[in-house]
Amino acid sequence: MTAFHKLIANVKTALERAPRPAEPGHAADGGAAMPVAGDLRRTELIAQFARELAAVGGVFLGALTADQARPRIVALARELGAKAAACGAGVTMDLAPLARALEQSGVAMTRADRKSVADRAAYRDRLAQADLGIVEAHAAIAATGTLAVVGAADRPNSLTLLPPANLILVHADRVMPDLAAAVAALGTATFVTNRVALITGPSRTADIEKMIVLGVHGPKQLYAIAVWPAEGAR
Amino acid sequence: MAAAKPDPAPDFFATSRAGVADAELRRKLENSTGRHLDHVAQMRAEFPPYDAERDAARAIKEDAIGRLDQLLIELKHQLEANGCTVFIAADAAEARDYILKVARQAGARRVVKGKSMATEEIALNPALEAAGLEVVETDLGEYIVQLRRERPSHIITPAIHLSKEDIGQLFADKLGIPYSAEPATLTAAARDRLRGIFLAADMGITGVNFAVAETGTLVLVENEGNGRLSSTLPETFIAVMGIEKVIPRLADVPHFLEILARTGTGQKLTTYTNFISGPRRKGEADGPGAMHVVMLDNGRSTMLADPVLREALYCLRCGACLNVCPVYRRIGGHAYNSVYPGPIGSIVSPNLFGSAAAQLPFASTLCGACRDICPVKIDIPRILLHLRWKEGQATPPIKWPADARRARAGVARFARMARHPRTMRLLTRAAAIFARPFAHDGYLKRMPGAFRNWTRWGRDFPAPRFRRRKHVP
Ligand code: SF4
Repeated sequence: MTAFHKLIANVKTALERAPRPAEPGHAADGGAAMPVAGDLRRTELIAQFARELAAVGGVFLGALTADQARPRIVALARELGAKAAACGAGVTMDLAPLARALEQSGVAMTRADRKSVADRAAYRDRLAQADLGIVEAHAAIAATGTLAVVGAADRPNSLTLLPPANLILVHADRVMPDLAAAVAALGTATFVTNRVALITGPSRTADIEKMIVLGVHGPKQLYAIAVWPAEGAR
Repeated sequence: MAAAKPDPAPDFFATSRAGVADAELRRKLENSTGRHLDHVAQMRAEFPPYDAERDAARAIKEDAIGRLDQLLIELKHQLEANGCTVFIAADAAEARDYILKVARQAGARRVVKGKSMATEEIALNPALEAAGLEVVETDLGEYIVQLRRERPSHIITPAIHLSKEDIGQLFADKLGIPYSAEPATLTAAARDRLRGIFLAADMGITGVNFAVAETGTLVLVENEGNGRLSSTLPETFIAVMGIEKVIPRLADVPHFLEILARTGTGQKLTTYTNFISGPRRKGEADGPGAMHVVMLDNGRSTMLADPVLREALYCLRCGACLNVCPVYRRIGGHAYNSVYPGPIGSIVSPNLFGSAAAQLPFASTLCGACRDICPVKIDIPRILLHLRWKEGQATPPIKWPADARRARAGVARFARMARHPRTMRLLTRAAAIFARPFAHDGYLKRMPGAFRNWTRWGRDFPAPRFRRRKHVP
């Protein structure tokens, strides 16, 4: 630890050469945890999210109930010509019925249950072959068209990384106005224990003459659905 | 082409002249930087809180750098609690040796790298290659310059000095694909090639944008997904961060993210913002088995000790000051002979590379465009002046080329004269009488003799006045 102590001593001496600034005035954490906005506000936020997502090259498939979302996703898989898809565990939703529906339509599904994930190399190979990766985000950000996806054992990070197309679901109540609200809503503990990826549109680059090209190392296509709670559940 | 290879005795005067003479390079730079500045202007206009967020971000940096010792202790503690191994590198050599040691112990052979200026700074790639490792840069721009065996010419857009035709030719030569100058085709070719490399890699190395002390979380922003892949797929992951990257709390991160992409790339937010707190946990399918964090000093504590220079540690490496700089836009990044070009490079390079970069603080018109665009409002011109003053005290002095020597001698004479107000007034009056027939609206369009260069490129010179200017209080 001597190296570290030496560094700290160095930094301390350096700091003493000039006075420390007065104690900071940190702004308070913005936003309470997962506020449930009124219906009108919710609709506005979802509309803004949809606009911003489109602006970065993503596609918003609509605000649907779970029963409407399932056939829409099956249709999407068909439009994409997807033969294989992978999905993680939901956050607020049970994605098992969706996976079954896709399987019935002839799409080979890779689930992220403990058994399939146990052989990590084999699981990764399957993801690398999958045409579509499906996850539920913990939150969305209206101001930027962003989806906050929290990695976990049953929701591997590679799901939103290896397949060439992604479908990300988000609960309609979890569309936050801005970044600060989303970070506050996820809570500090989540960031310590899980990997969090804020995803804003498909993978892209502007490295060649600052011209934008979508689909570099991550997915080239990104679809999102805001899912309303089931009829009568609220 | 400006000189690209690191020069054993880099001479800024020669390389900058070569840059200026290269009309094609200028066209490419104007094209890319212009496009970037348009996007930034639009972003700023569309986001009213922009300026308030800049102030908030700056205040956080001031606080963080002001108690860097405490925050580094907290960060190290938290990272270790999250399962990371932390290494403190006093200089570039220590950082390289450690990374090599980790690679050896892990039996790594293939290394994928996300974009990282810190690893450019410590010249990591040559060291890894010398040790027999295969190192592949995976950011598209970095991949392009690596294929050309060049260094990046910009800290955000490494291949800004190349046209799509240049890159098309490069890919045709090196990747054996049919020639195309279509960015989408070239990008797809790179994706194909690199995907296999990612899947086979056993070690990933990236930089860090922010390190949150409170939670021990590294924040990595990027657009392509290569940073995510580099930190997710390989069994060993090493993040290299300058010690100035630490910020106190997670709630600080949004303030930086709101301005970083808007200024750096003209986006609201980059495509991916990754929060990484530790290695793979039990039962997880991906993520590295081992995660190392290298905290790099390499001269940063020296900058910290200088009350003026300290401000440069607030830098987010957004790259905007390069794009807006009239000098950078004319000479290009390679002319600086440093991994850090442009205005911020002119500040940090002398501290990193000593006399080899001593001329750089003079490579500025002090126009202040960099200060105005900087997301954390770093007063770059002030620091440059400070460094010029310091250089004046240094030995050995800079070897100036002949024309610069003449100009400097002229300015020195003027400075001596200005110390004698009477003589000064007399001479000014004489000059005013002499200049009167040539002045238009109080300005001279053409200057004679030694002053010719002032007006040569369409810059007017205020005509000397017979009476002293009245000072308005
Ligand atoms: S000095 Fe400011 S403008 Fe320049 S790279 Fe750093 S943060 Fe960006």
